[in-house]
Amino acid sequence: MATVARPLDIGKKAKKLEDVGQLPQWKLMVRRFRKSKLSVAALFVLLFIYVITALSDFLAPYPHDVIDTDNVFAAPSRIVSGPNGLGIYGIKQVLNQELFKWEYQTDTSVIHPLKFFVQGFEYRFLGLIPMNVHLFGIERAPGSDPTAPEPRIFLWGADREGRDVFSRVMKGSQISMSLGFIGVLISVVIGTLVGTSSGYFGGRLDNLIQRLVELVQSFPDLPLFLALAAALPPNVPVIQRFLLITVIIGLIGWTGLSRQVRGKVLAFRSADYTSAAKAAGASNWHIITKHMVPNVMSHVIVVAMLAIPAAIGTETALSFLGLGILPPAVSWGLMLRDASSVQAAITYPWLLIPVGVLLIVVLAFNLLGDGVRDAVDPYA
Amino acid sequence: MSPAAPADGAPANDIFTTDDDVIRVRDLHLNFYTTIGTVRALNGVTFNIPRGKVLGVVGESGCGKSQTGLAIMQLTPSVGKYEGGTIEFRESPNTETPVNILSLGKNSDQMRAIRGNNISMIFQEPMTSLNPVFTVGSQIEEAILLHQTKDKAEARQRAVSILEKVGMPNPERIADSYPHQLSGGMRQRAMIAMALSCTPVLLIADEPTTALDVTTEAQILDLMRGLQAEYGTSIMFITHNMGVVAQMCDEVAVMYLGRVIERASIDDIFYNPKHPYTIMLLRSIPRLGAERADKLESIHGSVPDPYSRVTGCPFHLRCPAAMAGICDVTMPAETMIGERHSVRCHLYL
Amino acid sequence: MINYIVRRLVNMVVLLLLVSFIGFWIIQLPPGSILDVKIAQLRQQGGNLQQSQIEALRARYGVDDPFYLQYLKWISRTLQGDFGTSFDTDQKVADRIWNRLGISLALSLVALFITYTISIPIGVYSATHRYTVPDYIITFFQFLGLSIPGFLLALLLLIGATQLWNQPIGGLFSPEYVDAPWSMAKLIDFFKHTWIIVVVLTVVSTAGLTRVMRGNLLDVLNQQYVQTARSKGLKENTVIWKHAVRNSIHPLVMGIGAILPFLISGDALISTILSLPTIGPMYVDALRSQDIYLAGTLLVMFSALLLIGNLIADLVLAWVDPRVRLE
Repeated sequence: MATVARPLDIGKKAKKLEDVGQLPQWKLMVRRFRKSKLSVAALFVLLFIYVITALSDFLAPYPHDVIDTDNVFAAPSRIVSGPNGLGIYGIKQVLNQELFKWEYQTDTSVIHPLKFFVQGFEYRFLGLIPMNVHLFGIERAPGSDPTAPEPRIFLWGADREGRDVFSRVMKGSQISMSLGFIGVLISVVIGTLVGTSSGYFGGRLDNLIQRLVELVQSFPDLPLFLALAAALPPNVPVIQRFLLITVIIGLIGWTGLSRQVRGKVLAFRSADYTSAAKAAGASNWHIITKHMVPNVMSHVIVVAMLAIPAAIGTETALSFLGLGILPPAVSWGLMLRDASSVQAAITYPWLLIPVGVLLIVVLAFNLLGDGVRDAVDPYA
Repeated sequence: MSPAAPADGAPANDIFTTDDDVIRVRDLHLNFYTTIGTVRALNGVTFNIPRGKVLGVVGESGCGKSQTGLAIMQLTPSVGKYEGGTIEFRESPNTETPVNILSLGKNSDQMRAIRGNNISMIFQEPMTSLNPVFTVGSQIEEAILLHQTKDKAEARQRAVSILEKVGMPNPERIADSYPHQLSGGMRQRAMIAMALSCTPVLLIADEPTTALDVTTEAQILDLMRGLQAEYGTSIMFITHNMGVVAQMCDEVAVMYLGRVIERASIDDIFYNPKHPYTIMLLRSIPRLGAERADKLESIHGSVPDPYSRVTGCPFHLRCPAAMAGICDVTMPAETMIGERHSVRCHLYL
Repeated sequence: MINYIVRRLVNMVVLLLLVSFIGFWIIQLPPGSILDVKIAQLRQQGGNLQQSQIEALRARYGVDDPFYLQYLKWISRTLQGDFGTSFDTDQKVADRIWNRLGISLALSLVALFITYTISIPIGVYSATHRYTVPDYIITFFQFLGLSIPGFLLALLLLIGATQLWNQPIGGLFSPEYVDAPWSMAKLIDFFKHTWIIVVVLTVVSTAGLTRVMRGNLLDVLNQQYVQTARSKGLKENTVIWKHAVRNSIHPLVMGIGAILPFLISGDALISTILSLPTIGPMYVDALRSQDIYLAGTLLVMFSALLLIGNLIADLVLAWVDPRVRLE
């Protein structure tokens, strides 16, 4: 008895613990990231939302900008089970005798059936393949009053011009989910390049860049955003405006990152491996791309992850103030303009649905960024 | 088969026990429960420090020597849990019953009354062990005000005099300086001054000279030796440098993977080392006047991953004398082989 | 010290001149001017506006001047303390700005004060109680606060308040108090109108600051000098509040620089929702209506606030941390 060491941990668990020291860096990062359940959940939420964004035209039953005066502020449709499967009730025009006004009432005698994979408006699937099939749509119930307005389904209600909120959220995702992302991408590329060259080459270039950074940082963020956005010509095509707003977001955000990258590069520049590479005759380009950039990359990724939700917020704010995305395009921020009047938001609460969607996306990006930071740099 | 206590436990007939040990560590176990696994930092550490003596604790990085020092102060990080063992502290020769430090709450009043007052500690990194936003003097006074006197002027005066004691030129000015205005060696002197400010019974020095250059190291070691002689403070000197051990210590405990594998007087360690690990540690020191043919040796491999558990003797993976079927199966018990000399190795069972 | 401040101030003036030039250039970029809007309005009112009168107006406001001339006129007047006359209301720009800036500044300072008094204890608590239920709850609210855009939170609060009680919407005072002298009742009325903006500004900035505070303190708690402080036998509370917190408030101090203009301009959206006459909506309106002098002055003013805030932050930092040298 006395000679036997303590009982050993055998089996899977011990085996798994054994090789931690031998794992490559990225595997440890993945393992640490997976420890944070919330961040993993956030990652899946975002992937799900991006899939929906990719399929948004297919999922949306109607074009986002079709005005329908018959359905102003229509409440979300109730899906009921009818004789021919699922469907929605019809509506009928009733004269309000007191106000002498036509009003619409639910007509429970008619159920318009819900159909899947129906034909609808034309779009390009994934931006490439022309298609007109949509996931769902409503067909006029056979035998119903043909003079009644065309039945439409409003999963999330309609806005003050009778536009389908669900279709608009779908369409808006294309801008809202990409604009912040691309804007951050631009600022990350600029910030990394400028910061690396500033730190690596030093001297007059560094001095010049630092003065420039100082100047850009002398502008407060939001007022500068607003001034630049207001300076954009109002009647350019949708795509062009989208790109211009993206560039504005990208052009302002790089300064902070470039300073951080510069600081890191300054430290790496005097590191032994850089001297070794120089002694071995490596070119500046080689040292920058092989030694500097990979070393700052983890920091850059973390900063970028946490900058995306901020950029999404900026787009929302600009569009909300009427200085960002303009109609006929649609983004979630633009949709919130409709909800900005408290009275409207209280009477037609479905107008606040974009708030919820936006909140989920921004929260998910924040949680993801936090998890990535902890995984990449557990000591920070 | 050893007839004695369990392999991991403390030997029943511990020849190192004296009548007046300042510290008696018995079978100390400490685990760290981290998110990616459990680290068994200490697996039954046993040693004594007799009053007024200097014990060197040596071993490679990760062998648990620093954690042992922190455990005596109860400064183990919060992920660490003591899984057994005792640490007995005897304040003075007249103390009736020693205190079991581990039975005190980490932040209890009793523990805090011992910390910094009876037992104090110097850390490895002089550059970071002083708080950058307070003056050196105020940081020393803080301990004095806490344990010794309530009088601010007196505390100040004592801080200045202890700074003078550790060889600071112009101690008044140093007391008013911030740490970043001092060199590494000066900061370590300031740390020593802080540690000795309440005249502790035991000083735990965790690699106090590792971060310093050789000349400064020699000065600091001289200083510590001198102060030790003057105050009679017992010292637990944690280091990986056998040369420093030779200069400083009376006895040595060699640690490997959370266990003490050899304990001996300083002479026995250098002239009669028994454990293959100790022998190899000594062979890895360069010596002046050694024969050219004597090559400097390195120990093969490295310390196993801390998350894993090694069966048998923890050193068998790297041991040139490992015996298959024995060393990789059973943990050897501690064997007493001399007057003050013990070893944990199957070769001597 | 004095030397340093003087040098910083000189640098600040140079930066502000550059900011004013670039800012003015951006702001005047869009074609047309507010004069076109005014002329259209006058025409609508039925007045028979002669071409010569239009010419006179254009000349008076200098809208046809080249950009640099407009800039020089504006900046030289501004330097003399005359912020010009707003196109939009013919009011002195200075009067309009001071009215609103005072209110914005007051609201922001209240929010700033609350933010700093609650951020530090919350950050310290969640760092020292890491991985406990209260820490998770705090973290949850932090993420919520970080994620919800301020103006949406304002909207939701306003909706909630309107549903629950008679929340006044718009304006700073109820009509009966507008011209009344300051009194307790007026103050309460003012608070009723403005509490949402204070709450929103506080929530948004607290969420960020507590998160930073928590992360930093966790870093500092791993530092050797914290262990040294413990090894002296200090109480854990003393170790944390005296030795660790003092070393972890750098970002909070640096935050002073950015937070004031953030609060003051950040209320652009919130005040739009709440229909409060603060400085933010004024700036947005000036941009929209091409009131270039007003917009330009405001932009430079925000920038000046930012630069002064940064200077104050640097001075406070040097006071908090002896390692920081002012040079």
